[in-house]
Amino acid sequence: MKLLTCPMNGPRNISEFQYLGPVRLSPNPEAASDADWAGYLFGAPNDRDFQREFWRHTPSNYVFVAERHIGTGEVRRTYDPGEME
Amino acid sequence: MSAVYPLSEAGAAGDLRDRLVAGADVALADLTPWPRFGLKGAGAEAWFADRVDLPEVNRVTEGAGLRVLRLGTRDIMVLSTDAEGSPVQPLRSAWEAAPQSYSSWREETWAWLRLTGPKATAVARRLTAFDLRAAAFGESDIAQTRFAHQDGVLLRTGDGFDVLFDIASTAKVVTDIRAAIDREEVFG
Repeated sequence: MKLLTCPMNGPRNISEFQYLGPVRLSPNPEAASDADWAGYLFGAPNDRDFQREFWRHTPSNYVFVAERHIGTGEVRRTYDPGEME
Repeated sequence: MSAVYPLSEAGAAGDLRDRLVAGADVALADLTPWPRFGLKGAGAEAWFADRVDLPEVNRVTEGAGLRVLRLGTRDIMVLSTDAEGSPVQPLRSAWEAAPQSYSSWREETWAWLRLTGPKATAVARRLTAFDLRAAAFGESDIAQTRFAHQDGVLLRTGDGFDVLFDIASTAKVVTDIRAAIDREEVFG
C-alpha cells in the first residue's frame, strides 16, 4: 500500500485520498492573449518532473498540495494550500 | 408532517435495532438521536472560542456534559455526553438567535455508533487500517479515517470508540461491525 502524508492527518493509505489534478493558476482573462487562454483551457502540463497537485483527504474533506514526480510518483512535500507561493 | 429530526425514534440503526449488541465483552449502541451541535467555515473558531474549551485540530476536549471535536481549523462539532444533552441546547439557541458560519452538526447525515467493552479494540482493529495502539491514538485524539469501509470520524470513549459516518450506510456498517464481533468471538 502506498502512503501519502496529509498535512493535517499524518501518513495514511493512498486509498483515503482523491487526486484533484495539477495546480493551475488561471491567467487574467482580460489581459491574457487568446493563445495563452486556449493553452490554459485545453493544454495540460506533461513534463517528466515534479509538479504541484491538489489532493483531498476524503474522511476529513481536507484539500492540500502535494509536490509529486509524475514519472516516479515520489512525493517530496505536502502542505496546506495557504502556504503555496 | 412532524419535525424532520430525529429521522427515527430508534436512531440511525432503525430496524437494525436487533443487530445492536449489549454483551459483557463488547457492546454496540446507536447514539444518533443524542443532541449535538457544530459549525464550520469562517468565524466558527471565534464563535466557539468564547463559549467552550477549544482543542487543537484532530483533538477532543471534554467537560460540562459536552465533548468538543475539532475536525478542522474551522470545523468544530459538539457532542452531548448523555441522551438529554441539556448543555447543547444553550449553544444551539445562541447560534439560532444570531447565526454565523455554517451549521454542521450533521444530525441528518452522520450516524453515531458507540462500541465499548474489553474487546472493543480487538473488534475495531478488524475494521480499520488506522493504528489504534495507545501510543499512536491517544485518549483525546480524533482519527478521521476509513472504518468499516466508510469514511468515518473515530474517537475514544472509555474502553471503546465512538464512530461518526454517513447515515445512509448505517445498515452496512452495523452489519460489518457485527461480523467483526462474531469473528472476534470465534477466532479472537
